[in-house]
Amino acid sequence: MQQPGAVRWPQGKRGCMALAFDLDGPTGDAMLNGSLWSTPEYFTFGAYGPYRALGRLLDLLRAFELPATFFVPAWVVEQWPQQCQAIIEQGHEVAYHGYRHESFWAISPDEQRAVMAKSAEIFHNILGITACGFRTPSGDWHAETPQILRDAGVIYSSSMRGDDRPYSIPVAGHTPLVEIPGKWEMDDYASLAYTRQPDFPKGGDRIASYAHTRDNWQREFDGAMDEGLCLTTLFHPKISGQPGRILLLEQLFEHMTARDDVWFARCDAVAQWYLQEQQHD
Amino acid sequence: MTEPSRWPLGFQSAAILTLDFNDIHGILTQAPAVAGRDKTLSVWRYGTLRGVDRLLALLAEKQLKATWCMPAIVAEEQPELVLRMVADGHEIACSGDMHEDFSLLTLEQQIASVTRGCDKLAHITGSPIVGFRTPAGQWKPGLAAALIERGIRWSSSWRGDDLPYFHPGTRLVELPMHYTLEDEPYFAFNLSPAIPPGQSRIAPYAETLANMTQDFHGFHRFGLCYLLRLHPEIIGTAGRIGLLRALLDTLQQHNVWIATAEQAAAHWQTQPDNDVSHPAEVFTRIIGGAHGEHA
Repeated sequence: MQQPGAVRWPQGKRGCMALAFDLDGPTGDAMLNGSLWSTPEYFTFGAYGPYRALGRLLDLLRAFELPATFFVPAWVVEQWPQQCQAIIEQGHEVAYHGYRHESFWAISPDEQRAVMAKSAEIFHNILGITACGFRTPSGDWHAETPQILRDAGVIYSSSMRGDDRPYSIPVAGHTPLVEIPGKWEMDDYASLAYTRQPDFPKGGDRIASYAHTRDNWQREFDGAMDEGLCLTTLFHPKISGQPGRILLLEQLFEHMTARDDVWFARCDAVAQWYLQEQQHD
Repeated sequence: MTEPSRWPLGFQSAAILTLDFNDIHGILTQAPAVAGRDKTLSVWRYGTLRGVDRLLALLAEKQLKATWCMPAIVAEEQPELVLRMVADGHEIACSGDMHEDFSLLTLEQQIASVTRGCDKLAHITGSPIVGFRTPAGQWKPGLAAALIERGIRWSSSWRGDDLPYFHPGTRLVELPMHYTLEDEPYFAFNLSPAIPPGQSRIAPYAETLANMTQDFHGFHRFGLCYLLRLHPEIIGTAGRIGLLRALLDTLQQHNVWIATAEQAAAHWQTQPDNDVSHPAEVFTRIIGGAHGEHA
């Protein structure tokens, strides 16, 4: 294990920032239990992400020349193929996030394999890609999941929370699965999401101050980069791609790109770099 | 995103000020357990007693016309307030007859609620009602066509966009909402019964104003439709009316078309149909069974 401060990111950079977005659209629990089809107001809330917010976000990433990874349920790719193709065309990564945002904790290993196979087929047919990354929808997964992911050709996951740098998850018969852990602190849902019926957050909590949210994120970024760590985000176009909040991201990106000691990378590049480094050890 | 302006007269963006005037009927629908609890109900009666006056005074001061959405029962209980709104040139729109939870109604019952509500409101105001906002709950398939048949020309009930759009298969204009542009997610509060359920703190006023101001700057930069959804009992207090005054000051310093919902909807009739990938179109295709997704 490398010591803090000893990490050498590519291009001699001190820290690594892997911007990542979960393009969930209207997928998730309400779609899985069928209640979504009697709640047009809630469907449109979710569908706003791929339909309206994504394009604005891609424009912002292009303006700052920042690469990003989009974890996309394959159902969203089926419904909004052109919007999702634009992610690829603009040089970003699309990675696995279930078919309809199934909780991998709640489904059997066979069902997990089926979701991965169906997603791979859709990504291939509509986007012309073979994805190599995965973020588990709705939090947790099963003990069998790393094996299922490696069997499906996945080399990295960004599903866990408990560390500041990539690490290896051993998988029998395979090279290890690389884990690029995220943080609730860098999840826009924790600060900014609000819906009623279904209520989220459950307590109907307040939308946080944008300025304070940006300050939180900037402190997390500065702290991680100063210590030579790897930081990723769990941002959602439908939440932080709204008109007022895209200005928040613009301010955040201005802050991030003011430093010249940061390696901005897609998650797949981080994972590939990490695997190479492991070979040297 | 750079798109050509969608708005008349060279305006860069549009803003619509909607006020939900539900008195106690809004909270009774949202939290039926409050029935008979006078202290709690008085929190929501405050709008009728004090908040509407402050809002009307501010709107007159700013020379702005707003759209007041209400169920007919509120207008029947407070006709003098409604007539003052009308006399001041504001628009009156319908939130059903009794502020019913539409999720509990059949399509026929939903249509009956809108029809009764519009008839009563038209009788009180002396003008036909052309706008609708769902009081609570969700639409049944077929409601959009029924609204058009009854002379409704716009709704402001769904989400899914930053620009108006059409309900699929009709020219009923939807003026979509964002939770971020509502006062309730920031300020609604009651101790017992707990509203909101987690009893989170009332948000800081200055930070809320800063959020809503930044939201406006985003909508304006991208040429969109900034639709506020406010409540007289929430925004119409002596301490909060100043937030709205400051926000309206900001709007009036920009090249924004501040329109009533009816004016914005009439303008939108000049715009093309929805993109096929629009959320409303995708939803309608799916519940139509094309994908066999829903049970």
